[in-house]
Amino acid sequence: MELDIRGARILFTIPIDIPILGPVKISETMVVSWIVMLLITGLCIWLTRGLKVENISKKQAVAEMLVETAENFVVGNMGENFRYMIPFIAALFSTSVVSNLISLVGLRSPTADLSVEAAWAVVVFIMITAQKIKTGGFGGYLKGFTTPIAIMTPFNILSELATPVSMACRHFGNILSGVVINGLIYGALAAASSALFGLLPGILGDVLSKIPFLDVGVPAILSIYFDWFSGIMQAFIFCMLTVMYIANAAEEG
Amino acid sequence: MQVQELVSIVPWNFVATICNLFIQMYLIKRFLFKPINEILEKRRAKADAEIQEAVQAREEANAIKSEYEQNMLDAKNKANEILVSAQKTASIQSEEILKDAASQAAAIKAKAESDIAQERRKAVNEIKGEIGGMAVEIAGKVIEREISEADHAKLIDDFIANVGEES
Repeated sequence: MELDIRGARILFTIPIDIPILGPVKISETMVVSWIVMLLITGLCIWLTRGLKVENISKKQAVAEMLVETAENFVVGNMGENFRYMIPFIAALFSTSVVSNLISLVGLRSPTADLSVEAAWAVVVFIMITAQKIKTGGFGGYLKGFTTPIAIMTPFNILSELATPVSMACRHFGNILSGVVINGLIYGALAAASSALFGLLPGILGDVLSKIPFLDVGVPAILSIYFDWFSGIMQAFIFCMLTVMYIANAAEEG
Repeated sequence: MQVQELVSIVPWNFVATICNLFIQMYLIKRFLFKPINEILEKRRAKADAEIQEAVQAREEANAIKSEYEQNMLDAKNKANEILVSAQKTASIQSEEILKDAASQAAAIKAKAESDIAQERRKAVNEIKGEIGGMAVEIAGKVIEREISEADHAKLIDDFIANVGEES
């Protein structure tokens, strides 16, 4: 039995050659992220339908709770000045969570593609840098690399660059490990199932050994950690780091 | 079918993800935060308005209460005033009545006294005449002689004077 864990499939290629980027390749990652966006936006629209001032429905209570949680998270960690960051952090978190969890319905998580996390990390890195330049001025930003002593400059530059790399790789690694381990478990359980029912005599054993009975139920327990816990945790960590780095950038200088 | 590398950064996915992130940000802002914040703001405004109304109502009630208390106080004061003035008038009137009564009594007494005095004078005069005649008669009988009319009158007068003093 062979186990094959590969990257996202490229569904089709539009043969228009664009400089640098090359021909437009529509990959599984893109399609699933559009599904994720549709899901999130649809949920938002559904939650905010028929809003009332008094005597609110459970649905509206949930929507209000989500908004207040997002506000508390951003304002609590960054302060009142960063209210404009609330939708960005909310979008980052919801996209990340839904992308991580969408693997539960059999689709390939967009977050199991390093390009996605890299893109997020680069956006966040640009925001951090912009915030640093805004607080300390461009000179102050450059001078920040020479602290505490000038000889530390190469290390400071390295650590600065390590921020987006570590953020992207942490998230990607966790989700990919989930995908890999899930694949391994499904394969292993199928093999175990086939071996177990192959013991049965005659045609019965031949038929039953083809059906991976052990794949029902058992992986669900493991997916509590690898999909649910890890998926939500990584989204939270990514957002927390974003918030912390930007808040720190605003305080320094 | 083509497959991406397992660990790779694909430029198109990278660009698409950045675009998706910002589109998602706009969508969440537009479809979740805007309506919810509006409704929260409305609720806050409503709650504020209700509190404002309650405060106003309480102020009005307090105003009415203080006005009522003021009115009660005024009424009490007025009642007291009326009572005091009534007492004063009553005492003045009673004094006047007493004074009138006293003066009337005094007048009656004075009149009675003068009447008595007049009656006495009259009686004395009458008796004087009678006693004079009697005395003359008696005297004439006793001494058996004629006394001059002048002596006669003098004797009578002395006698009456004596009677008046003794009586």
